[in-house]
Amino acid sequence: MSALLEVSGVSVTFDGFRAINNLSIAIGEPELRAVIGPNGAGKTTFMDIVTGKTRPDEGRVLWGEASLSLLGMSESAIARAGIGRKFQKPTVFEDQTVRENLAMALRNKRGPFDVLFYKTNRQARARIAELADEIGLSDALPRRAGDLSHGQKQWLEIGMLLAQDPRLLLVDEPAAGMTPAEREHTTELLTRAAKTRAVVVIEHDMEFIRRLNCKVTVLHEGSVLAEGSLDHVTQNQQVIDVYLGR
Amino acid sequence: MPLRTVLSRALAILVLSMLALTAPPRAAVAQDTLQPLLQQYAEELASPSRRSFGAVADALLADGRPGAADFLRRYEAREVVQRPEDGLFFYAEDAGDLVRLIDVDTGAAVADVSSRDVDQIRANAGVRRVIAAALVPFELNAPERARREAALDAISRSAEASQIAPLADSIAQEPDPDLKTRKERLFLLLTAQFGAERAERLEAIAALGGDTSIEARGVLNQLTATRTEVAPSLPESANIARVLTVGEDLTQAEAYADLVDAGLAEPAQTPSELRAVLAENIVDGRVGGVPVGRLSDPMARIEAYEALEDAGAVPPRAAPDEAAQAVAAHVFYDEYVLNDPEITTAAQDALDSTAQAIATYQMADLVLDGLSLASIFFLAAIGLAITFGVMGVINMAHGEFIMMGAYTGYVVQLFIPDYTISLLVALPLAFLVTFGAGVAMERAVIRHLYTRPLETLLATFGISIALQQLAKNIFGTQARPLTAPDWLGGAITFNDIVGISTIRVAIFVLALIFLGVLLYILKRTRLGLEVRAVTQNPGMAASMGINPDRINMLTFGLGSGIAGIAGVAIGLYAQVTSEMGASYIVQSFMTVVVGGVGNVWGTLAGASLIGFLQKGIEWFNPSNTLAAQTFMVLFVILFIQFRPKGIVALKGRAAGD
Amino acid sequence: MAKTTLAPRKGFLSENPSVLRFLGLLALFTIIISALAEGFGVGVISTSFLKVLGMTLCLCLIAVAMDVVWGYCGILSLGHFAFFGLGGYGIGMWLMYARTEGIVRESLANAPIPATEGEVRDAIATQIFSVVGSTELPFIWGFAHSLTLQLLLIVLVPGLLALVFGWLAFRSRVTGVYLSILTQAMTLALSLYLFQNDTGLRGNNGLSGLQNIPGLLHLPQSTIALWFFWASALALGLGYLLFAWLVSGKFGSVVRAIRDNESRVRFLGYHVESYKLVVFTATAIVSGIAGALYYPQAGIINPAEIAPITSIYLAVWVAIGGRGRLYGAVIGAATVSLLSSWFTGGGAPNINLGFYEIVWTDWWLVLLGLGFVAVTLFFPKGIGGLFDYLVRKP
Repeated sequence: MSALLEVSGVSVTFDGFRAINNLSIAIGEPELRAVIGPNGAGKTTFMDIVTGKTRPDEGRVLWGEASLSLLGMSESAIARAGIGRKFQKPTVFEDQTVRENLAMALRNKRGPFDVLFYKTNRQARARIAELADEIGLSDALPRRAGDLSHGQKQWLEIGMLLAQDPRLLLVDEPAAGMTPAEREHTTELLTRAAKTRAVVVIEHDMEFIRRLNCKVTVLHEGSVLAEGSLDHVTQNQQVIDVYLGR
Repeated sequence: MPLRTVLSRALAILVLSMLALTAPPRAAVAQDTLQPLLQQYAEELASPSRRSFGAVADALLADGRPGAADFLRRYEAREVVQRPEDGLFFYAEDAGDLVRLIDVDTGAAVADVSSRDVDQIRANAGVRRVIAAALVPFELNAPERARREAALDAISRSAEASQIAPLADSIAQEPDPDLKTRKERLFLLLTAQFGAERAERLEAIAALGGDTSIEARGVLNQLTATRTEVAPSLPESANIARVLTVGEDLTQAEAYADLVDAGLAEPAQTPSELRAVLAENIVDGRVGGVPVGRLSDPMARIEAYEALEDAGAVPPRAAPDEAAQAVAAHVFYDEYVLNDPEITTAAQDALDSTAQAIATYQMADLVLDGLSLASIFFLAAIGLAITFGVMGVINMAHGEFIMMGAYTGYVVQLFIPDYTISLLVALPLAFLVTFGAGVAMERAVIRHLYTRPLETLLATFGISIALQQLAKNIFGTQARPLTAPDWLGGAITFNDIVGISTIRVAIFVLALIFLGVLLYILKRTRLGLEVRAVTQNPGMAASMGINPDRINMLTFGLGSGIAGIAGVAIGLYAQVTSEMGASYIVQSFMTVVVGGVGNVWGTLAGASLIGFLQKGIEWFNPSNTLAAQTFMVLFVILFIQFRPKGIVALKGRAAGD
Repeated sequence: MAKTTLAPRKGFLSENPSVLRFLGLLALFTIIISALAEGFGVGVISTSFLKVLGMTLCLCLIAVAMDVVWGYCGILSLGHFAFFGLGGYGIGMWLMYARTEGIVRESLANAPIPATEGEVRDAIATQIFSVVGSTELPFIWGFAHSLTLQLLLIVLVPGLLALVFGWLAFRSRVTGVYLSILTQAMTLALSLYLFQNDTGLRGNNGLSGLQNIPGLLHLPQSTIALWFFWASALALGLGYLLFAWLVSGKFGSVVRAIRDNESRVRFLGYHVESYKLVVFTATAIVSGIAGALYYPQAGIINPAEIAPITSIYLAVWVAIGGRGRLYGAVIGAATVSLLSSWFTGGGAPNINLGFYEIVWTDWWLVLLGLGFVAVTLFFPKGIGGLFDYLVRKP
């Protein structure tokens, strides 16, 4: 298992506040990884750095076999390189239909003129149907995304993520606000996805993480506090002090 | 007793000083009365002429009799009459319908007569100037300050060599320090121009270096005046300022024109002359054998002319390179009008050091100008910055609040005639009016649009055009005066270059007060705390028991109220029209955007940057304010490329996206 | 609608019947107006009113462009009237040059000696620029003699300006009200530039006499007005078709997504800036063309036409008509600009309240301003939204 993403020695400061402090994490392919930590530990900032939203003050972020540096790349270029992201709050395009949402995410050429002269085809339609089936929204394809329930929006976003066909999925709190049944479905989606690609899940809910059954990284004050199986890290005294002990 | 001693002493001083001044060649003096002397020149006095009167005035003064200067002064004021019966001169005073004659020597009233019984002597303007010039030396020591000042003015207006001595003598006795300085400077100026001794003159010229007054620069410029000359070779005798290079200092065409002016070359034929000559020589539809139809080609025209030339019909045409050869065969140079190298060099050196001083002062003046423009922008923009920063609302009607404030000032002046009191009433009233308007607008419109910032922009624009048109309907389209009280009317002048009008100083002070008050409100009061809380996190603030609705309303009212006060201030020095707000709104936006949103210091920085930069650009091209504004806006556009969040930007996660 | 995006494309028009309906209505309108116009001898519609209608069609075209850039892409541009004005200046330069050339040649024809080209040029320059105290032809008039080149400039100048400005603004991620202010600053800079006498476009005199078309001087204005009316209608039809195509399908989907959540689109891998640039530039070019058709009908263009306020009015039209639907923009522009000329032209009867007489020339702007506030507050979807509502629930 070679490292797909390698973050090393990264630090970032906001107005004197050190959000990320000499952080190093490596993600392999395929792999399912959970990242936990208390509020302000830098979980979301870590995602921001990887996806190009935030520029770190120092450190390296390397990607893929060619060890491409992601630091100079724009958000869209990083996304095209194969990193997909799901936000904490479900962000789908509410004014458009589920089908349009998925079609937009579908892996295709992204240039404005390619898109302008794009003509849909049988293959694309089949892929959308398949994705809709996977996220349980087959019947909802012509519906406005804004009319979906909260959980459905979360799935639609995961579906859009899968449609992008990325090598690395960054998923921020996918189970927030879901019913237990919905959670189960989400777990299933993620573990299935992690069979062929790398998936990083940020989550607060321990039960959910236990069900993912994967390696866990604990962040605290912007750096890695512990790493290993859930049982391993939950027995770490430091982790108990800063996180679980509260 | 004491009065008499004072009077006699004053008289003694006067007489002594006159003696010293006029330095009479003759010993004959003061006991004589004036009237006999006047009778000697009776003819010239009765019908004065500009050309001859100088000699008369000089003679009267040179004789040294008391009252001669006084007589001339009253003569100049047309107060002297002649009695036709005996030809005596009297001073005339009004006495009802009659004229009261007063003896020129004793000052006693002689008789009251009808104005038809005496001859009025009408000294025309030319004669009066002559008298004024002759009186200057006397006036320099006159007891009244105003008269001494007038004499100095007269010297500055028409300087003469003869004034040097009396001026020099009067310096020591001058009691008024300001006038003394002025006399000393005038003395320098006169010496530099007319000084008899070379060393003295050079010294005076050197002393003028660095003096930025227009008078001093005028003298130096006069001394270093040049004229452009042309000659086959550089003349030895000329006092040459510099040699001109054709192609650099002057163009080929200008050089040739100089040659023509100097009579060293024939004027070149212009295309229109060529055309006229050809037109005169049309024969059977041909000119010199060339068909007229072909003459739309410049080459064909030359061909036709040459044919005419060969036929002897027209004078020969200059060869194409003749002009160039002629120019090459001559030198072009600037020659000092004054053929005295020592003086011109000294004057040039003095001018150079003056130029340095001027540059420094101009810089200072530029800073003052920039400061005042910056404070105006600050005043206009700060209200906008508050509403934009706290509420994220762009208020396009902000300019109309400025206008509303200005019109409030105007209306107050209609009721309160005293400008100082009306200003004191207008400032708070303008605040109240626009505060009310702002709150009303926030309640009625803006609070419904908080989630739609772009639509707020447009809705407030709708309000803006409605308010503008309302103002037009009420007050008409012409500008209304908002008059500043007298104590704000003048200007503070440091020297001939550095100066600033008082009203601008007042605006600067007002801007400072605003800055202080706003900082106090935001940093030290409960309202400020709540405003900052709502700015940073409205949701959290609401959960802490702060009512964001109330804060928004108050903030909007405050921002609008400030616009009202700014309106009064701006109205005092600009015109109050219904469109005055519109002319400030874009600048205000740029100030806010350049400075950075939601921060008083940011607005200050933005206003300073824009104010100074605009003045700076204007300095490079003073004739074109429009161009300066164009460059200014372009700069802002570029600036935002590099600092999209402004100079003072909020950083980190709080800034959001 | 939903099915259309991914169904095999049977043809764009059959999928978007509303576009076809619009084009049909436009054609019908054009035919009826033409039949009633003076040019055909009926004369129910005067030539001057025909010109107003033709100009209104041009305004509808720029409103459609504005709707695409604002209603679909979310960029509240306060600069599109600047592009409109540039188009007007572009055609105006040729119209003025060519017409002056005709006059100059005619007057020089009687001279004993035929004039050289240089003399002709000088005479033209003197004619055009003596009003700003110059007798030289500024270099920007270098192409003014050629209609072809000048037509090319009508497309190139607004296009390039939009491209450069948009590239600068979008790459530094200026969005929302900031972007609006920035576009307003661009408009202000341009109008200030044009107001200067020495920048070669006759300062605040502007270009005039544009209604006289060189080469067509023998035709009556009623005929020329009709031709321009047709050209404007054609341009509006084509522009509408182009933009309807642009905002449909996947491109439209991405553009609307950018409007709603720009950064999310970025994380999907789309280079948002390029999309904005394409939309901004395309609409700028169409605006320039609309301007080039408008000003020969108006007869005069001056820098005041480009002042920032006119661009805001454009946004007002689109907002009143209803954003995010192209026919909304057309309705808004047509309604407001026609109402505006009715009210300000003295067409509306004054209302006497006894104690005060409402003179509409004075009160129209107050009405418009307040009406606009009301529309923003109560009908955020504008007249077009009302229209939708009525159509769906008859």
